[in-house]
Amino acid sequence: MKKSSIFGLVVIAIAIAVIISVYSTSSTYGSFKDAKSADSELHIVGHLNKQKQLFYDATKDANYFSFYMKDNKGEECKVVFTGSKPQDFERSEQIVLTGQMHGNEFHASKILMKCPSKYTQDKVEITEAKAKQASI
Amino acid sequence: MDTFKGEHLLPGHLGQFFTILAFGSALFAAISYYFATINPSDTSWKRLGRIGAYINTASVIGIGICLYYIILNHLFEYYYAWEHSSRALPVHYIISSFWDGQEGSFWLWTFWQGVLSCILIWKAKSWETPVMAVVSLSQAIVATMLIGVDIFGQRIGTSPFILLREAINLKESAPIFATNPALYHNYLSYIKDGNGMNPLLQNYWMVIHPPTLFLGFASMVVPFAYAIAGLWQKRYTEWIKPAISYSLFAMMVLGTGIIMGAFWAYESLSFGGFWAWDPVENASIIPWLILVGAVHVMIVYKNTGHSYFTATILVLTSFVLVLYASFLTRSGVLGDTSVHAFTDAGMFWHLVADVVIFLILAIVLLAIRWKELPRTKKDEETYSREFWMFVGAIFLCLSCFHLVVVSSIPVWNLMFGTKVAPPSDPIRHYNIIQASFAVVVTLLTGVTQFMKYKKTDITKFFITSAIYLILAGVITGVIIYVTGVYKLQFVFILIMVGAVYSILANAKVFIEALKGKVKLAGSAVAHIGFGLIMVGALISAGTSKVISENTSGDQFSSDFVKTKNNPKENIILYKNTPVQMGKYLVSYVGDSISPPNHYFKVNYKVVDANGKVTEEFMLKPNAQANMKMGLISSPDTKHYLFSDLYTHVNMSNAITVGEGTAEAGHDEADDDKNYETPLVYEVSPGDTIRFREGYMILESIAKKDHISDITLTDKDIAIGAKLHVVSHDKSYEAEPVYMIRSNNAFDFARKVDDAGLKLRFTKVIPQKNKIEVTLYQQPESAKKWIVMRAIKFPDINFLWSGTIIMVIGILLSIFRRNKELKPE
Repeated sequence: MKKSSIFGLVVIAIAIAVIISVYSTSSTYGSFKDAKSADSELHIVGHLNKQKQLFYDATKDANYFSFYMKDNKGEECKVVFTGSKPQDFERSEQIVLTGQMHGNEFHASKILMKCPSKYTQDKVEITEAKAKQASI
Repeated sequence: MDTFKGEHLLPGHLGQFFTILAFGSALFAAISYYFATINPSDTSWKRLGRIGAYINTASVIGIGICLYYIILNHLFEYYYAWEHSSRALPVHYIISSFWDGQEGSFWLWTFWQGVLSCILIWKAKSWETPVMAVVSLSQAIVATMLIGVDIFGQRIGTSPFILLREAINLKESAPIFATNPALYHNYLSYIKDGNGMNPLLQNYWMVIHPPTLFLGFASMVVPFAYAIAGLWQKRYTEWIKPAISYSLFAMMVLGTGIIMGAFWAYESLSFGGFWAWDPVENASIIPWLILVGAVHVMIVYKNTGHSYFTATILVLTSFVLVLYASFLTRSGVLGDTSVHAFTDAGMFWHLVADVVIFLILAIVLLAIRWKELPRTKKDEETYSREFWMFVGAIFLCLSCFHLVVVSSIPVWNLMFGTKVAPPSDPIRHYNIIQASFAVVVTLLTGVTQFMKYKKTDITKFFITSAIYLILAGVITGVIIYVTGVYKLQFVFILIMVGAVYSILANAKVFIEALKGKVKLAGSAVAHIGFGLIMVGALISAGTSKVISENTSGDQFSSDFVKTKNNPKENIILYKNTPVQMGKYLVSYVGDSISPPNHYFKVNYKVVDANGKVTEEFMLKPNAQANMKMGLISSPDTKHYLFSDLYTHVNMSNAITVGEGTAEAGHDEADDDKNYETPLVYEVSPGDTIRFREGYMILESIAKKDHISDITLTDKDIAIGAKLHVVSHDKSYEAEPVYMIRSNNAFDFARKVDDAGLKLRFTKVIPQKNKIEVTLYQQPESAKKWIVMRAIKFPDINFLWSGTIIMVIGILLSIFRRNKELKPE
């Protein structure tokens, strides 16, 4: 076999390995119900229940923020986020959480939220908050 | 047709005319150049093509002037000016508000393509007609993004000259306009100010980062056009030589633009780092990686005649990926995976079409010419530089492939109807996989330096490369021990070996170059720069340390400690109450406000064992209470030579959204509610009043001639009480005033916000020779606090200096390649 063909095969093998690794680490979108049975982190899309209390008191613990979110199937769950409250959280229209269930609480490691703009209805802005700085 | 009061329609009409002209002339130039290419004997086509290109460049500049005029003069009847600028913006940010929106960034793109067109007409000689045909086509397509004309009920592109009342239904958003036509005709008098610019973009890097990035994107059309021209004109092998310089230029500019973006993120975004693998960041680096691969393969071809096919494919792909990146970031497809992608402006299919047109052009031409493409029969030698350069280029492509696959997850979902979410810890995912490719690439940039083109002396090669590898291993050992990188995953240590190896091997080449083979210096310098970038990125991202770890407030955190070792990175600082963080004694000492910015003054002190302050500095992280976006904060950083200290305020009770406007309307009675029950003191000059956090001395009582903006007449009596206030080792002066005007007594309170005090001079008691001072103190709970995060980034300067070195190296290479072109 020619050297270039061998090299070509190696490249194809690596490309397949990349796709597999992406597929295996990729997460899924789910609901709180799915989260209860899952052992790994997953993404949940939903919206904030504005009737219930948002809890953040920096004077007590600057790294504890909790709120109640309804997922797209209507199920509600308490969410706890280790970090400070993302700015303008109350105005969020849609929230994407990344995290895991711990007992009856969903512990989010990342919050991505969409806020309606105050001026133009046709535009949305997206902001993100992360619970921790990722370590390399 | 309605007429509206106060609108300035001329600049908009003129600008709109230029957008149409820019499109028309670019299309005209493309067609003329096409015929000029297929009828080389008829020079009139070429003349027409040039005229078209010149008119296009001129009208693009015309668009720019009109838009600048609109923004600079605050003509808020135009949507673009209203949406992206405001009266309060300083001039240099008005410049950057120009490219705050999609339209402005398209303009940058077409502007640079116009400039490049003129350079090509001047320099390209026999290549002018086919190359310009392709560039003009690209120019015409970018111009369609800006015309904003309705065709068959479908709007094509978005024009920056659209009026506010056309873009937004004013009658709907303000019902009063619907009911009262007279008011509606005068709507402009109600539009006092624009939205202003996103505070995060109000950074000096945002003035130069987008133009640089778009010059990089725009210049990638040139090598693409050369490759197409080569296939089209069957000048298969000739195009590579002139295209190398342009590719090097694009690589240098785009690389600089990307790093500028990283620097902006580091300086002004709050995620605490220079790179977060956001899809938008990836979109800019995807074409760059392929281009770097392409440049290396082109050089292989030039020197050995091998890899022609790969060089062509990579050059073609790099430009298609520029268009794909533009689709990713502008079409809104990234939706909920990215923090800063544009939202859909109704151009989804337009952007898709842009990618498809150039993709098909490339594929069809390749297919037609497939059989005629020059191929080498013989394999490259295993121990030859060209083979390993080729391998390196392919690994760059693999790294790019991975980025494309992951960043495009929303695209796959859209295409296949799946619901795959991106990796839940994307940074870790990208870091590990990209690091593996980086190990190979850095090692190869070192190894290839010991090889020669075509044939290498094998024994000599093994000996030298092994010696250098051992040396690199030893040096890496020292570096990782000192910096703490050894605690990271193994693959990162391997990158360190690769990067150090690359620096050493290229340093050897550089030293030899100084002795005589000067022309080799460019690539060596660029590789050294690249190695330094890797070293800097690795150390600073890998060993950055949060020093604001929270040690208080455990009541909610017991669960967290059990389940995860999550570092608690935010810490609360009460005003004037110092907290020890690492070696620093940190305190929040006050605020300095210059609207719209609110700076929190955070004092850092290093105190040695004897209690002596060895170092002291002040950082001023900033927050803006933006009406549109809420509270936006940006960090401040203390730069040392070998590390940076980054401080970011997340939250504070010292600032509220809408502060600036609410202040004026404050009622006095309301204001008093913010304080505890006032205390009344009778004092004479020299007396001291004590309060919870300090004391004050009444220095003197003096008659006042004027009180700020109130004019006093002879009949008025105004007396000021000069108070010297001391709180937490700081002194303030305050002078509340007591005034009698037409038998009524008034007094003007003075606030010392830093000390949480309000002081009133409430009465004169002549019989006792005393005055009455009323003291308002803020309650303890209203004491100001900030929640902040501080991170130490070691050795990040390697990254920045590496970038500069790399740019210098590429620049040297461009000079060298240009020199090689001369004899032609």
